[in-house]
Amino acid sequence: MADILTSVFRTFMSQTDKDVTVVPHSACSALLPGDSSVSSSVLLLGDSSISRSLLLLSAVMAASELGVRVVFFTQTQIQSLPVSLQKCVPSPESLKKIKFSYPRTLGDLLQQVAGLHESQNTSPTPPSLIIVDRLEGFLGGNHSEDQSSAAHLSALLCDTSSFLTHILKQRSPSSAPCRLIASFRSDVDSEHAGGESSATDPILDVLDRYFQMRCTLDRDRSYEAAAAGLKELWNVYLSATGITEDACTKEREDRPAAAPKEWKLSISPDGSMEFKMA
Amino acid sequence: MKMRSFLPAVAEQLFRDIQKAYQETSQIPDDLLIALKFVFGPCALQALDLVDQHSVTCLSSPSGRKAFQVIGGSGRLYTCFVSCHYCPCPAFAYTVLRRNEGPLCKHILAVYLCQAMAVTQQESVSDPQMSALLSGTAPL
Repeated sequence: MADILTSVFRTFMSQTDKDVTVVPHSACSALLPGDSSVSSSVLLLGDSSISRSLLLLSAVMAASELGVRVVFFTQTQIQSLPVSLQKCVPSPESLKKIKFSYPRTLGDLLQQVAGLHESQNTSPTPPSLIIVDRLEGFLGGNHSEDQSSAAHLSALLCDTSSFLTHILKQRSPSSAPCRLIASFRSDVDSEHAGGESSATDPILDVLDRYFQMRCTLDRDRSYEAAAAGLKELWNVYLSATGITEDACTKEREDRPAAAPKEWKLSISPDGSMEFKMA
Repeated sequence: MKMRSFLPAVAEQLFRDIQKAYQETSQIPDDLLIALKFVFGPCALQALDLVDQHSVTCLSSPSGRKAFQVIGGSGRLYTCFVSCHYCPCPAFAYTVLRRNEGPLCKHILAVYLCQAMAVTQQESVSDPQMSALLSGTAPL
């Protein structure tokens, strides 16, 4: 699903950057059938409210640009859409393609995700994008239970999106796969940007087993950021967790690092977001 | 080395070899048993016991959704997914997730073996029952 995120970044680039960079007409060129470079699952790490905005932008992008159904799970009600969307307001028809669900507990979330295979959820078309906002809100308590719950939820999400992909392709062989994106805020502060070692957060360790890619949001505290004045600057890194690698023949350290794709995000005081390639 | 939830190539090859040998001779030859023990450790024999006891069932529901159910040594039922590794058993939580000492538990290994040997039982459940099993809210 990094391709949907990348489409979001491209769509919300500043006008000057857009003029300079050639943006494909359909930012969904990576969605061609059989494109094995499409990652089906992305974990969004970092600040919760920015992640949430990105998730909403992704949902709207998928519903309006791709015309697919989206299921969006979150514990807190969506009061409004991100400011960035006020400039290109999505149509009501496309917003109807997004179903918002508000499970209160992990148990509720598990039941709702587990039920996605049932016919009332796959008619007339199955969802092509599953979004879960703030995994950490659903996973809480002591560590060893946490790990097992995190694994159960992640595995259920992955298995569900795999099943929905199968249904989508049965109905239309050229369908893109069902994608999954979830956000998570790690308590552990030694998190490094660029998808490096997560050994200190046991939950993140577990999530990494199931999600194919990571998108890390990292506050930019460089001079450039200070010079940006009232705007907040963030670095955005896309990296593979290496899940498709052969775990037996390659050590994580020896594996050629998947080149992290880097973007910069600036957030104005009014909340509007602008991306540019780093 | 971080273990992933998907099968390493050497294990995949091993299951293919077991499948072929079992199709031809209705048994697993010694060299493959040794390889199994080498790759999976103590899990291997325990999994083979589960296979002998016909412990693995593939559940299907009208929607087409599938899951595996394994009867553990204690008689407890474990529901496992078809497309990625997860088992609710304590060994998975401890040995696999916490200690990172292996890619799977005996229940998941038993699933792979039963599939390779084509001795998985089949059973149908309703869509709501399937949902309950997948979410872990089904009564045991």
